[in-house]
Amino acid sequence: MRMRKHQWLRTTLSRAYYCTFSSSFPLKHVTQSNFESAVADLKTHLKAADFVAIDLEMTGVASAPWRESLEFDRFDVKYLKVKDSAEKFAVVQFGVCPFRWDPLRLSFIAHPHNFYIFPRQEVPTDSSSCEFLCQTTSMDFLAKYHFDFNACIRQGVSYLSRWQEDEALRRLNLRYEDELSEQARDVPLFSITDILFSERMKNRLREWRDGLLKDTSGGSQLEGSFLNDSNQQFQNIFYKMRPALSLNGFTSHQLRLIQSVTKKHFKDLAFVHVEGESSCSQQLVVYTDSESDRDLLKKEVMDDYRRQAEMKIKAAIGFRHVIDLLSSEKKLIIGHNCFLDLAHVHSKFLGPLPLEAEEFVHSVNKCFPYIIDTKILLNTNNILKQRMNKSKTSLSSAFLSLCPQIAFASNESCNLTFSSSVKVEVQVDDTRSSSWISGVKHEAGYDAFMTGCIFAQACNLLGIDFKLYSPSENLACNERLQKHANLLYLSWINGDIIDLSTGHRTAESLRCRDLKKWQTGILFENIVLIWGFPSDLKTAVIKDRISKVFGPTSVTSICRLDETAVFVQFSKSKLVADFLLVKETLDRSNDAFSVLHPLSTILEGGSTCAASYETYKDICSSPLSKVLFADQARAVGIRWKTKLVERKEEIEIEEQDNFREENAANTISVYVEQN
Amino acid sequence: MVAVSPLLQRRLLSTGVTKIHHKPHRQWSIKQVKKSNFADTLEDIKSHVSTSDFVAVSLQNTGFYAAPWQRVSPFDTADTAYLKAKYAAERFQVLHFAVCPFTVRASKVTAYPYNFHLFPRAELKMEMPSYSFYCQTSTLISMARQGFDFNSCINDGISYLSREQESAAKIQIGNPILAKNVTESTSIHSIADSVFIERIKSHFKNWKKTCKETSTRKEDALVRSLRKLVLGNEEYDSRPCMNIDVCSERQAQLVVEMLQEFADDVVPLIIPAKGGATRAVRVVLTSSKEDKDLLQGKLQNDEQELMTKIRGFREVIDLISASQKPVVTHGSLNDLTFIHSKFIAPLPPTVDEFMCSLRLAFPLVIDVNNLMKEISPMRKVTNIPVAISQLKNRFRTPIDMEIPCQAMENEDTIHGQNAVKICELFAKLCSILKINPAAVQSDEEKQASALEAYANIFSPFCTASEEPINGDVKIWANNTRTVSCEDLVFLWGFGDRVTAGVLKSLLQESHEAFSKEFDVRLVDNSCAIVIFWQCGLSETFLNTMNKCSDMRGALREMVSEGLRAAGYETYNRACRLGLWESRLADSLDRAVADPDSASKADSKTKSSDICNEWIINLDDL
Repeated sequence: MRMRKHQWLRTTLSRAYYCTFSSSFPLKHVTQSNFESAVADLKTHLKAADFVAIDLEMTGVASAPWRESLEFDRFDVKYLKVKDSAEKFAVVQFGVCPFRWDPLRLSFIAHPHNFYIFPRQEVPTDSSSCEFLCQTTSMDFLAKYHFDFNACIRQGVSYLSRWQEDEALRRLNLRYEDELSEQARDVPLFSITDILFSERMKNRLREWRDGLLKDTSGGSQLEGSFLNDSNQQFQNIFYKMRPALSLNGFTSHQLRLIQSVTKKHFKDLAFVHVEGESSCSQQLVVYTDSESDRDLLKKEVMDDYRRQAEMKIKAAIGFRHVIDLLSSEKKLIIGHNCFLDLAHVHSKFLGPLPLEAEEFVHSVNKCFPYIIDTKILLNTNNILKQRMNKSKTSLSSAFLSLCPQIAFASNESCNLTFSSSVKVEVQVDDTRSSSWISGVKHEAGYDAFMTGCIFAQACNLLGIDFKLYSPSENLACNERLQKHANLLYLSWINGDIIDLSTGHRTAESLRCRDLKKWQTGILFENIVLIWGFPSDLKTAVIKDRISKVFGPTSVTSICRLDETAVFVQFSKSKLVADFLLVKETLDRSNDAFSVLHPLSTILEGGSTCAASYETYKDICSSPLSKVLFADQARAVGIRWKTKLVERKEEIEIEEQDNFREENAANTISVYVEQN
Repeated sequence: MVAVSPLLQRRLLSTGVTKIHHKPHRQWSIKQVKKSNFADTLEDIKSHVSTSDFVAVSLQNTGFYAAPWQRVSPFDTADTAYLKAKYAAERFQVLHFAVCPFTVRASKVTAYPYNFHLFPRAELKMEMPSYSFYCQTSTLISMARQGFDFNSCINDGISYLSREQESAAKIQIGNPILAKNVTESTSIHSIADSVFIERIKSHFKNWKKTCKETSTRKEDALVRSLRKLVLGNEEYDSRPCMNIDVCSERQAQLVVEMLQEFADDVVPLIIPAKGGATRAVRVVLTSSKEDKDLLQGKLQNDEQELMTKIRGFREVIDLISASQKPVVTHGSLNDLTFIHSKFIAPLPPTVDEFMCSLRLAFPLVIDVNNLMKEISPMRKVTNIPVAISQLKNRFRTPIDMEIPCQAMENEDTIHGQNAVKICELFAKLCSILKINPAAVQSDEEKQASALEAYANIFSPFCTASEEPINGDVKIWANNTRTVSCEDLVFLWGFGDRVTAGVLKSLLQESHEAFSKEFDVRLVDNSCAIVIFWQCGLSETFLNTMNKCSDMRGALREMVSEGLRAAGYETYNRACRLGLWESRLADSLDRAVADPDSASKADSKTKSSDICNEWIINLDDL
């Protein structure tokens, strides 16, 4: 419905060529129906573009609440979370917006494209790609911004990643080799009907073959005999310049019998299975002059089959053509906080995501050598930080504060405050406007457009004069931008930045949000993960109980993962080992003292587990996603209740058990004394 | 039993000829229910359910299985079939739920179909009913092809909470609940109790007195609001109220009991704590008896409204359940595991517990597939339209479908006809099998039990009568051949390019266990299943696989290349432990490696577990 309206708008508006008043025409929506022409157009725009902004809409972000972004995410854990998200959720919309500087009009020309994509599985691939996850809130969010799910599912462009394509071709080759070498197996004749049927077919085929041999010119007598065939099961045709019989109306079992008969009794007949254009298949018995001719025919048939299958695979590449274009043109790519977007691009269009962030980054960098993230740009460049004046750097608010003339489509000539801003004209097909107002927030194409505008404006503010700028110059290598290029937020919450070209990570130095927290920092070796306690246990209570045992300053911070799990950060890493030791001892002892121990509140229920931060990483790397963390740990196969870590001071192994007992006994007795 | 003898067929044919009034196949326009018209529809469907004999249901889910081997197959026992269905029900979502109350009288079916569009929207911002769900792409595409409107489903779908989620939600919302009247006073009061009551009572009396005094006094608004600020008096719904903190349920009960003395103008409310216990009792003072009734009525209404909003579509499930009407489905295992997990409670770990829990909600569930299995030519048909047309060709059993309340607007979808078709199919089958569906409501026990014989059978490949069918051996011989689970061996680690035939010929030469009749089928491209038709050979073979020394020739070579074998119990364990890898080979590997494998050994599988022989279509894999 929405699409239809857009088409109507497009046709009526295309008459208004080069309109200068503020106008509303939709951006270019691309589905299966107009994909090929759209890509052809996009290709020319991409080649001419100075930079290309991209944006993705997904069916979700986190597969479980505890997989959402947390402050206590170490960089490797953060990558695992992003990886999990990109592997599980689907991309439903891909916005691509090439921007080109027009030296005559002194403005940028943007071509926003909004691709609906949907993993249609046109070629059978690995089973992991036959399903995807939807996060209820994300779907609701998309619905709120009028996402057209019908267009996406019915008309969305499919795709195949490079890896999937290679895999499909490899499998095809194997099958080809197999079939060339494979001898058709004999079908054992079980029943009397099978034997009779085979015999009858043998006679029929012999009759036909003999007829051909007798009268090579066509054989009227032969045709007569077969036309008598009441139900038209045999039909004389020519196949690859050879006389052939087309078999119709047989069951697959009967066809197998015929194949077997042909194989066994006729050296000059070949049974051929032809895959038709419209997926209907045809079975033929073909007459060949000699054995070598028969082999030749078989090879021809196989080659045909292979060519068709290859074509099918090529056709299934679909939307990846756009990614391949972006990659081969080596254009500067602009995204807004786009680490997750790139992970999706990698897993959907390149191949499975590597286990380590460094490897991933390397792989992305090879494919897209120039990426600039506008979120990084706005938060790390001093000039821009000043201009933003601490306002939010989310996409839409940054767009509003940096590019108000575009956002409100006001005529910039009458407003002096905007005089310094870059002009951006939007062109969709043949319609162009300098004040375009019909974008919908959170539509990938429009988001890409906004991102590009922010970037253009940011360049302007940084003093890049596009009037002096030559199109051959690569923007990413501009001295003012260079130091921001290929940097991405691995985690926005923590200010972890990763360099795509080197794989190095840096923590963002100057972020004046929560200074206290940044000064203390998070020391991951000081963290204990506790889960499986009663779900109504309050975080404050946990902190209180632990402080009672290890001292009032022992716990620096505590962070709730979900109702079943917490992170506790101790002041010293030694305390981690101590805590786990005490917990383990309490678990094992059943005496009355252990009930009085302060930690027993946390251990109530008997299924409380604890381990160091490394276990969190292990659990995050599992492909499973249970909603509650405690369930997840169980599903991952954790059967132990405490995973001890070695203390920094090495203790001799034989003493360790003794020590453990003593230590626990001490803590318990100390506590009893206090009471 | 032979379901329909040739004689009977002929008779049915002849009766059919006498009164042919075939209607051309047509589409019924069915009422589509969404969030916007849900409340209005609820009353209608309630009355239709109560006046009908049966309720047909049909679900449209976002997927069925994550990997080929996770489909329910004929070699699954009731246990593994349930575990597979459970996994699917937990993973996927119901987007569309067709409910059709219907009555069958002679050859006339009166049906009231409703199509409900569902979406698990978090109405309460509480990660309920579902944080996320999976979609199988092929399922979505086929739904789209049938004209399913995803936009309206996601925008305007009805949300819901399961019974268990509802009780959790009530606690989380923390709205005060009207205290129930204590009918029997707690008999024994300890001294502590008495002291507590007395203390609260005097405190309460004081408060009440001051309230009455101030309310009669004439003050201007400023003074009154100042007084409120200073005294910290609270108001509830513009009536004065007081919170009495309690430490236990016992105390809460005592307070409510004490307040009954003042029941004329005081309304006690329970304020729940996060864990579900009572945090405090709120006492609201009303100005008169009328005012009290007014407040109580309003509170009850508010709660009702909120709960209706929270329960959403589950109201419909509840009212079907409350009616105790027989539920007619097509593919009951799949549909009812979904219903149980989305609307009742999380699925229990075993099929027996599931059946118990389900029977409480739906005492009688009839799967038309089970009726169909009684008619031998229909045994293999699983598709409803095909079944209907085949029955039409074979038996002239005209069924007159009457749908009194068709939707006014012309919904141009071919989608959502399933429930109506189930009604039609059910009526046809009943008439062929000479079951009188009307008897369900009557007291004729004999007739009612005829239908009950087909009820509550959830294993999709078992028939009501376990005996193999004699008579038409020729065509269906394959299908009735059964084998004990003990004679099945799973084989994997042979690479993904081997066909069942190649594997069979390889095995034939490798071990003496394969000298007798056996079969090989591929379950998916990573794993095959070997059927030993002679008892005991599977054990011989598995023993050899465990001892490398006894192996010779081709088998030895295959084992050195990674061939592994395991009995049915390993497969069972893989399902039980939820090791749902996308390749069965990986799941079996994990099941073998599982540390618990030794401890929880084979106690559960009995040799009596029989499953039908199956035909796996190689094209499907």
